[in-house]
Amino acid sequence: MIKTDVLVIGSGPAGSSAAKHAALGGADVILIDKKSEIGAPKRCAEGVSKGGLENLGIKPNPRWVTKELDGVRLVSPNGTNVWMTSDEIKLPEAGYILERKVFDKHMAMDAARAGAEIRVKTLAKGMKKDKDSYIVTCEHMEDLFEIKAKIIIAADGPESRVARWAGLKTATKAKNMESGIQFEMCGVEMEKQDVIEFYFGSVAPGGYAWIFPKGEDIANVGLAVIALDTDKTAYQHLIEFVENCPATQNAQAVELNVGGDPVGGMPKKIYGDNLLVVGDAAGQVNPLTGGGIISGMTGGMHAGIVAAEAIVEEDYSEKKLKQYDKNVREDIGDEIDKYLKVKDYALSLSDEELDSVAKAFQDIEFKKVSTTELVKSLVKVSPKALLKLGKLI
Amino acid sequence: MIVKDWCMYCGECAGVCPKNLIEVKEITLIFDDKDCKECNTCVKACPISALEKG
Ligand SMILES: Cc1cc2nc3c(=O)[nH]c(=O)nc-3n(C[C@H](O)[C@H](O)[C@H](O)COP(=O)(O)OP(=O)(O)OC[C@H]3O[C@@H](n4cnc5c(N)ncnc54)[C@H](O)[C@@H]3O)c2cc1C
Ligand code: SF4
Ligand code: SF4
Repeated sequence: MIKTDVLVIGSGPAGSSAAKHAALGGADVILIDKKSEIGAPKRCAEGVSKGGLENLGIKPNPRWVTKELDGVRLVSPNGTNVWMTSDEIKLPEAGYILERKVFDKHMAMDAARAGAEIRVKTLAKGMKKDKDSYIVTCEHMEDLFEIKAKIIIAADGPESRVARWAGLKTATKAKNMESGIQFEMCGVEMEKQDVIEFYFGSVAPGGYAWIFPKGEDIANVGLAVIALDTDKTAYQHLIEFVENCPATQNAQAVELNVGGDPVGGMPKKIYGDNLLVVGDAAGQVNPLTGGGIISGMTGGMHAGIVAAEAIVEEDYSEKKLKQYDKNVREDIGDEIDKYLKVKDYALSLSDEELDSVAKAFQDIEFKKVSTTELVKSLVKVSPKALLKLGKLI
Repeated sequence: MIVKDWCMYCGECAGVCPKNLIEVKEITLIFDDKDCKECNTCVKACPISALEKG
């Protein structure tokens, strides 16, 4: 049996961040992923904010940044445009479009350089409690073997099976799981090359459609729906969107990506004796945008730091590990709760209401591009929004 | 549960299965059928209709 201080299950952005910080804190760390290539296939539109990376201390690298963004275009169901670009406003919260396949690998490499041992194509199949540790059954090709760890960091993404093996309630309810689907396309004819586009309304019931530019004529063209809110599959919605959107009339797909995105916020409990849960597995996703790269890595960072402390103190109890819960909720918990309310409100709007909000937005001078600024403006133009969201801002 | 051969192993079905019965390997999907309560949640969630009740 292999023994380690910390076993991180899943080497997405959240798991790699957790492994890196646990290793930097001096713990012995093993990081496993069932995939043969970390980061592939991607299940993501690849947008991140610059500030988010900066806060994590990660310097942008030309090997994984495909595009620097210059603003946002919002499109309502009848085609009314709201442009928020740098010729009109300051853009402190602009972002990048990544190449996730390269980014995820680089994040894992950072963990390796910090001292973590990585094992690819290694699947966690189950685990059992053994006194003050967990024993995880792993599979690597035909080998079945066990890893015994003082602390498990569950970073297994939207499946979130690991925490459930330990009895935590981290299943995502169907009403909170966005079904995401996307083509990476070339030949996309965008009106502005470095602006991310969002399309709202019945094109994507329960979610939205997007076009995220990756440089030249390349873009991620996708959408997410709540399956319970529509009779069509996510794929049928995507085909219709691509058929009707002016930007994709001459576009060709070179990739099809699918995946779930949990947008119900963090479950009540994301820690236990010898266990921490991070990233999508812990609902660390902005419920409004579905963005989970930065928030998952932030969760991973807090978990890694607390896990390393726990190893030094030889205390892996729930009481000690609760510190992670406190730190992560202080850092991103309020944001997630706030955007949960905004999402519920936004999804309650009909196509006509969205059109009238978009029309009213055209006369507003935005000071910056951020979700908070958008919510402020929303409250200004819509009495219904003021009623529902006034308290939030 | 019948898994169609166009399944892309994204794991969304596993995330919503209330009983945690679905193991997603890199390119294999395994159902622990004996505890399945046939709620159909996994079937409905799949973005590309790759599941069918057997
Ligand atoms: C269509 C779509 C578009 C999105 N667009 C964006 C976006 O533009 N910006 C953004 O910020 N976020 C976006 N997201 C969300 C983002 O992709 C996730 O929040 C992010 O990947 C979460 O990171 P993670 O490390 O928690 O999980 P993941 O990236 O899912 O990583 C989990 C890892 O665990 C591994 N694993 C799972 N189970 C096991 C096991 N039993 N044993 C071993 N390994 C295991 C998996 O192979 C995987 O590598 C999008 C999501 C979807 C579906
Ligand atoms: S949700 Fe569909 S595509 Fe994804 S793993 Fe399940 S059956 Fe396969
Ligand atoms: S039908 Fe329900 S219980 Fe059975 S595998 Fe699907 S989601 Fe799980």
